[in-house]
Amino acid sequence: MSLSINSRPLMILRLATSATHDIGSTPQGTLTIFPVTGGSFEGERLRGQVLAGGGDWVTAHESGTLTLDLRVTLETDDSELIHMTFTGVRDDANHYFRTVPRFETAAPKYAFLNRLLAIGTGDIRPDGPVHIIEEIL
Amino acid sequence: MNTRLLMMMHVNVATVLNVGAVPHGIRRTAPLRGGTFEGPRLRGTILPASADWQLLRSDGVLEMDLRFTLQTDDGALISMSSFGLRHGPPDVIAALGRGETVDPSTYYFRTMPRFQTAHPVYSFLNRLIAVASGDRRPDGPIYTIHEVL
Repeated sequence: MSLSINSRPLMILRLATSATHDIGSTPQGTLTIFPVTGGSFEGERLRGQVLAGGGDWVTAHESGTLTLDLRVTLETDDSELIHMTFTGVRDDANHYFRTVPRFETAAPKYAFLNRLLAIGTGDIRPDGPVHIIEEIL
Repeated sequence: MNTRLLMMMHVNVATVLNVGAVPHGIRRTAPLRGGTFEGPRLRGTILPASADWQLLRSDGVLEMDLRFTLQTDDGALISMSSFGLRHGPPDVIAALGRGETVDPSTYYFRTMPRFQTAHPVYSFLNRLIAVASGDRRPDGPIYTIHEVL
């Protein structure tokens, strides 16, 4: 029985976002949509750009935590498309910002993405959010 | 990535329901007979009306959608949902299918549990991401669940 869980780097994802859509107070919390206008991703096994048209649906809860729900399209440097989603938790009071990315692709070269689970560590930087994503081994 | 043990979970699976070929793959449901969980910060039992909704994809990967209700030894209820993937070499997966005990390091069986609870003692669970490593035994899986720090 394996008692430790190992990981290895998958990619660093940088997102560019535009002005938010403030949906406001809903039964679930306060919903803010961050449109994704672009970005980049880079790892040992894949790299490329984030296409415009995605977004992150962020709900602020009364407890002070944020939950994230992102979907974007990645385009690799060899022109393959990857559908990426993540859900996540951001709790600034505890410096905790983790996501659970999932990938779908039809490209045989990147089919390994269909079969893995991953964990992302998020960081809000002046030039936009950065997610360090690791594959769960 | 840093993690720490959240709990070990022993799951006892009842008779599996074979739903069959659906548009997305082959679907089957594994209701739970029960189970237990134990870790440094919580322990208790898994209540009935918990199950694992499984989908065998066309690429051979088994997707798992677990919905469990946990009851701690001090009476708190915790809703756990978990998405997982299981795949491996054909002979290993076939051995699992025959109900044999297989070295869990020979296949990939990982899940991402999420928790929801109203109980203040366990509210830390609402704010964390977890990763679990599964070990499929003949009577049900054993999950080693780690909190992602």
